[in-house]
Amino acid sequence: MIAATPAATPVLELRGISKEFPGVRALDSVSMEIRPGEVHMLLGENGAGKSSLIKVLYGAYAADTGEILCDGGKVAIRSPADARRLGIAVIFQEFSLVPFLSIAQNIFLGREFAGRIPGQIDHPRMHAEASKLLQSLGVAQDTRTKVHKLSVAQQQLVEIAKALSQNARILVMDEPTASLSDQETERLFAVIRRLKHDGVAIVYISHRLAEVFELGDRITVLRDGRKVASLLPSETTPDELVHLMVGRRVDTTYAREFGSRPGELALEAKGLGSDRGISGVNLEVRTGEIVGLAGLVGAGRTEVARAIFGADKVTAGQVWIFGELLTGGPDVRTRRGVALIPENRKEEGLALIRSVQDNLLLASLARLFPRGWFRPAVARRASAERVDELRISTPSLLRLVRYLSGGNQQKTVIGKWLNARCRLFIFDEPTRGIDVGAKAEIFNLIGELVKKGAAVLMISSELSEIVHVCDRAYVMREGHVAGHLKRGELTQANILRLAMHRE
Amino acid sequence: MVPQRPLRAALAAIPGVAYILVLLCIVFGAASKGFLSGANILNIGMQSVILLMLALPMTLIILSEGLDISLGAVLTLCSVVLALMLVRGNGLAVALAAAVAAGLAFGLANGLLVSIVKMPPFVATLGTLGIAQGLALAVTDGQSVVGIGAQVEPIYSGSLFGLPIPLAFALGAYALTHWLLYQTRFGGYVFAIGGNREALVLAGVRAHLHHIGIYIFGGFMAGLAALLLTARMNAGHPTAAIGMEFDAIVAVAVGGTSFERGEGWLFGTLLGVLAVGVMRNGLNLLGVPSSLQVVSIGLLVIVALLVDGLKQRP
Repeated sequence: MIAATPAATPVLELRGISKEFPGVRALDSVSMEIRPGEVHMLLGENGAGKSSLIKVLYGAYAADTGEILCDGGKVAIRSPADARRLGIAVIFQEFSLVPFLSIAQNIFLGREFAGRIPGQIDHPRMHAEASKLLQSLGVAQDTRTKVHKLSVAQQQLVEIAKALSQNARILVMDEPTASLSDQETERLFAVIRRLKHDGVAIVYISHRLAEVFELGDRITVLRDGRKVASLLPSETTPDELVHLMVGRRVDTTYAREFGSRPGELALEAKGLGSDRGISGVNLEVRTGEIVGLAGLVGAGRTEVARAIFGADKVTAGQVWIFGELLTGGPDVRTRRGVALIPENRKEEGLALIRSVQDNLLLASLARLFPRGWFRPAVARRASAERVDELRISTPSLLRLVRYLSGGNQQKTVIGKWLNARCRLFIFDEPTRGIDVGAKAEIFNLIGELVKKGAAVLMISSELSEIVHVCDRAYVMREGHVAGHLKRGELTQANILRLAMHRE
Repeated sequence: MVPQRPLRAALAAIPGVAYILVLLCIVFGAASKGFLSGANILNIGMQSVILLMLALPMTLIILSEGLDISLGAVLTLCSVVLALMLVRGNGLAVALAAAVAAGLAFGLANGLLVSIVKMPPFVATLGTLGIAQGLALAVTDGQSVVGIGAQVEPIYSGSLFGLPIPLAFALGAYALTHWLLYQTRFGGYVFAIGGNREALVLAGVRAHLHHIGIYIFGGFMAGLAALLLTARMNAGHPTAAIGMEFDAIVAVAVGGTSFERGEGWLFGTLLGVLAVGVMRNGLNLLGVPSSLQVVSIGLLVIVALLVDGLKQRP
């Protein structure tokens, strides 16, 4: 193996980069040096600022303050084209490939070699150049193959070749091994080592601590948009890294009484698997308790919620709701009292251009109007009760939901399910896009729900929310439940330890 | 890995449309004596040329996740324009130029509405369909345009080096479209606009211009096809090619081009056009009324897509 030999000048240097969004400080004076021929590991839990930092590097966001130096000279990255000119390429988890074009055409998309006739492509030359690039990566593959026929790992190599064909000197890779097999991962590592040898700088985001030590030359840890540490793998341990990552500010003033006795079994999943990549999921939720479902983004939490709700195809295992084995779609689930409060409530939870009243009645029309015709008085009463109960702040029942604040929209979604007499509530990121003051109120409402005998399963990417709100929690990793934490064990460090891949 | 049965693999590699075409020929060949005669096969070819000239650009349009339902009406309008220009004593070259210009104008309008105004292609071309159809009726008062002289008709009946001129047109149109789609940047961008437009934009390509170009190509081909259509009827008729876009879309779909992700191939469209042509011809020979023919064409799409769907199962 070639040892890292950091050159004197960093190829890219960030100095005091800050980026603010309304209500959120995404990046707070982050400084970082990226040197040629090094693999620079970027670590942090959900929302720590990794994605924002990549976007600044790629020109998708402009930093509010701070400067970027390339080869020691100050530069401005205002667009992806600027980034490309400087030799910065990002390989996202979603590839930017055209499925029904050949490997070579994808590599040279927009930069085709011109043939004799204007507009014509010089195919032989393009395939020759593409083959050369793939060979330099140690890959033997016919460049005429269409990309849709390739595995994810092969498509990733095409992306890398595409970046190199644009003379990329800084390659940013966002969780590149997330969907690769062990063998494919080994091959990718071989490619990365080769690139390193050629002097390419690699910024590598990973949630697998083992990779950090196997591949990394340097580590930068982000938390709450700040750089909390920059260190060498030889100087640290997995445990230290986990401790550096956790400890986010708690931005709610919510406090709950724990220790009430859980009631009947509301939800039991046994060996649950779905066509969206989860498998062998076992979990239980009883009435009177809030159970957390934690894990890193992409670990399969939303997929578990959708499988329980019958929105995705269940391929293995069973879902028991209040002692009854259920199959079928969301219609069956809602009739048995299951409510899903989705992450993107504006698309999946609400009809934005309808009134508060219409939205509150959306899931309970059959219950409220059993004879099939609409009765205005009943409708008004049912919705007014929910508005009072949930303290939904709206000037009238007829106000369109799109004009309500995020917190009041979320309450409307909850009210919709209360009207349907639901008793098992699955919350997916209940405070996403809700301002700080309203967050505590949402948690208070969730607390009231369980006090009145409901059962709650709550997905959250905020470790602090899980720790402060839940009676206990399951932690997911790569599509399965990696562990269960009881109230006494429920700490941010314990969650992160389970959520990250350590083998 | 499980060893694959070579016969099964080979059979699965043949596109569904090829099976359908062979099956149709067997059925019609058995049902009607004249079907497999040389004269009738040539006839099928001749009858399919105009449809092919709409189906070729339609393939590009559908590959870009678009649709152009105005093509039949635009072709009709172009044919009427051509006939009127001839009636007024213009030369064939001028008349053809006017027809092609009309086609290009509608192609440009469709392209602008879809690519720049970002209207759904179905709605945008529904609008231009109405305009083209209305104009064709307005400028002719709903009557056929006759008395166009003798210079056009030979284009349909004549031969070039022993090849009927319409077939030469078909060959030329196919070769041109094939070259555009597989040998030029533009062709690559057609696949990219349907498959991953974002990737194309990030590669620094002005995708919207190429997107407009796809629809302009449709208008251009409609303009050229108007020459053959007018020659065949030796007149301009304001409803001559109404609904032909339906057959064109059918041919593209039957040929195996998907309406999503930029998946498809041009040769399949050629086979699809032949399948539609064989179906229409065979049913004509059997004396099936044209209303029932439309039913069969509709069935053809559904069966073709079912066959392709079945083949994809393991």
